[in-house]
Parts: sequence; structure tokens; C-alpha cells
Amino acid sequence: MSRRHNGALHASRARGWQSFLHIVVICACMPLLLAACDNDESSLHKARLVAFGTLVDISTWGVNDDTAEQAIAAVEASFNDIDHTWHAWHPSTLTQMEARLAKGEEIELDADKIAFFKKARALSDASDQLFNPAIGKLIALWGFNQDDRPQGPPPEPDAIKALLALHPTMDDLIITDTTLKSSNPAVRLDFGGFAKGFAVDKAIEIMRAHGISNAIVNAGGDLRAIGNHGTRPWHIGIRHPKESGIIASVETGGDESVFTSGTYERFFEYQGVHYHHIIDPRSGYPAKNTLSVTVIHDDAATADAAATAMVVAGPEQWQKIAARMGITKVMLIDNNLTVYMTPAMAKRIHFEIDPPPKVIIGDAT
Amino acid sequence: MTRADYIVVIFALLLVPFLFTRYWQAPAQGETAEILIGSDKKIEVSLNKDQELNVEGPLGASVIRVHDGKVRFIDSPCRGKQCIHSGWLQHSGDFAACLPNRISVAVLGSKRRYDAINF
Repeated sequence: MSRRHNGALHASRARGWQSFLHIVVICACMPLLLAACDNDESSLHKARLVAFGTLVDISTWGVNDDTAEQAIAAVEASFNDIDHTWHAWHPSTLTQMEARLAKGEEIELDADKIAFFKKARALSDASDQLFNPAIGKLIALWGFNQDDRPQGPPPEPDAIKALLALHPTMDDLIITDTTLKSSNPAVRLDFGGFAKGFAVDKAIEIMRAHGISNAIVNAGGDLRAIGNHGTRPWHIGIRHPKESGIIASVETGGDESVFTSGTYERFFEYQGVHYHHIIDPRSGYPAKNTLSVTVIHDDAATADAAATAMVVAGPEQWQKIAARMGITKVMLIDNNLTVYMTPAMAKRIHFEIDPPPKVIIGDAT
Repeated sequence: MTRADYIVVIFALLLVPFLFTRYWQAPAQGETAEILIGSDKKIEVSLNKDQELNVEGPLGASVIRVHDGKVRFIDSPCRGKQCIHSGWLQHSGDFAACLPNRISVAVLGSKRRYDAINF
């Protein structure tokens, strides 16, 4: 009897030790669990480089240092390459091409460049010519074809009228599978942000080729994000078009481009009047009534062309252009800081200002 | 309570100071700004300490002033002076750049609220 009792005592002691050991193990692991939260940031790599006359921020999540650094170096090389190819006023492949196009010569091009021209033309047509990269001469007349801020004065109205009368559009280009020719000597190409969007799309391709599935490439207003930041989505702030700071934020999911085109990006003031760089191809003057347009779409080049076209379209016509270009998520901020959004965009936008702005929701129609 | 329980309690109490020192971070010391020169050289400055920095870029020295929790370019050897026009930077995410001189200033903030800023 006493023996049996003793045995039971032993057993209960053993159980005590066992649970004690469990607790010790759990306690010992706690710092490790907390440390795991900390380590979140150690999988994050950030780099900043200068390309396209703008700052490019790159973040990757979840890959080791070597992979991140190699991918970022490859992206930088690609950015520089696209810049040297498509720059509108630095000596580039484009400026060389242009000299020959102006003489009416036929130029042979590789498949990549042909694809670039075809995409730009398709987007230009879809935008009702409001995104029109063929008005480079008009951009130059305004002085937005240089690194420095133009000093003014604005061009003479007659000079603007004369250029508008020649009506240069992307449809003046004769593009075959291997060649390019222009039928209108007034065409001068300035792809502006579109080349940047194209470069961002390429950068994401490069990231994926390096096995990176969580990344952000942000070239000024042209941003494309894939995957997420560990267990949470990427969190993107959208700049306030009038003040410093952030007006709204979005969380991206999967693979999305967030692109903002704003009239505050490049401008000059002359005798108290603000002249910005987004020229309305119909009037020849900077687009009126709009401060900025933000678009969420899958590819960056399309998002870029659409945002630019909708700044020109303004609060009255943006819905028509969004529908034509197949864009479902749009936010337009007009001169009075009234916000126009599609229902799909409204679900994604979180305002960061108090009080929130006046919002008008309308579908792309 | 068994002897094991006492040991667990003592062990847990001993763990508290360790966790405290390891994970309890003092509130961040205000905001900081990051100055980037070229593509790789970085300087971090606190916005709590007023100072003026001469930062050498390829064109010469850009002068950056920190005052009263804010930071700005006050001189730069570029032609456009866009960097100076940008004015004071204060909020997390604000930034100004002198691209010809390859120098940029960005306010980092005590807590990074955004992974990227669309502007």
C-alpha cells in the first residue's frame, strides 16, 4: 500500500517536473517569438537611385542581401538604358531617330522599340488623343523640354495656334513590324512619364527574374508594387497636391501600379500666373481645373498614360476617358480640392487629412 | 503551490528586466532627415538640433539648414534652384532634391507610416 502510494507520489513529481520543463521551454522561446517580430524589418531592403531626372526608390521584402543588391543593380542598369533610349531632350536614341523622322526617312527598329511605339499609339488612341506624345514641339515651346524650370514668359498665342494647326498625333506614324516613318513633319516625340512607366514595368520584370515576389519600384509618381511586406500589404501614401504631406493612402494587393500625375510636379510662375507641364493638346495651354489624378491599374505604362489624359480631361470628362481606356480605379482632385472617384477607387482610398475632402463618386461611363 | 510553481514565478520575474531592456524602446527622438548624395552615400541628421551642413555634390556644395524640427535647402550650385523653391520640409515623407547636384533630403519621421510615397 505504502509502496503504491510512493509510486503515485513519484508519478506526480515527475508530472510536476514535466510541466515545469514545458514552461521553461515556453519562457525561453518567448524572446525568440518577439525577436521574430523584430526581424520583420531585416528582410526589408531599400535603395534609392537617381534616374530619369527623378529619384527612384526600391524596396524588396523577404530575400537575402545578395539577391536584393543584384536585382537593384540590374534595375538601375535598365533604368539608365531606357533613359538613354527615350529621353526627349538629352542626346538619346530617340533624339537621333527624330532627326531622321523629320526628314521623312524610314527607320529600322528592333522589336522592343516597335512594341514601345505601338503601345504608346494604342494608348494615345484610347485616350481620344488627350495623351499625345507627338506634341513635343508644343512642350518645347513652353520650355518644359529642359532640366531647369522655365523662366517664362509663356509663348505667344500665335506660335501656339500655328503648331496646333499642324495637328501632330501618334496616328501620323507609320509603324510596321520592323520600321517606323512619320507622315507629318510637325511630329516631335516626347513620351514624358510614359517612358518612366515603361521602365517601372521592366523593373518589376527584372525583380521577378531574380526570384523576388515582394517589391516596390517607385519612380517619382510612377509606382508598381508586387506581393506584400511580410504579413501585411504594402502601404502607399499619396501626396497632397497643394500642401506638404499626405492626402490619402492605399494598400496594394498582389500586383498593382499606383500612378499620380500632378500639375505641381513641374511648373513655372510668370507675373503671378501658374503654368504647369501637362499641356492640353486641344488648346495648347496647360490643362485647367485639375490638380492631380491618381490611377490604380495593373501595368504602370497604361496607368501613366491614363492619369495624364485624365488631368487634361478634367472634372467634366474624366469618366469618359476612364471608360475608353478601361480604367476602373481613378481619383481626380480639382482646383477646389474636391475629390472625384470611381466606386472601385473609393473602396481603396483612405483619407489622411482631417476633415476629409468633399467627395463626388461617379462611375467610368 | 508546488516547488515547481515557485521556480516558474521566480523565473518569470527574472525574465521581466531582460524583456524590458531588450524590447522597451524609448519614444523615438523626434524626426530625422536622410540626406542622400549620389546613389549610395547617406547621412542621417536629427531635426532636433539646429545646424547647417555643407554637402559636397558633383557641382559643388549644397547648403542644407536644420531649424526648429524642419529642414531645407538654402543654397545649391544648380541653375534651376528647384531644391530651394521646395522650402521647408517637416512631415514624414516630405522631400526635396537637387538633381543636378545629385543631393536629396527626405524626412524619415520617427515611425515609417508608408512603404512608399506617390507624388
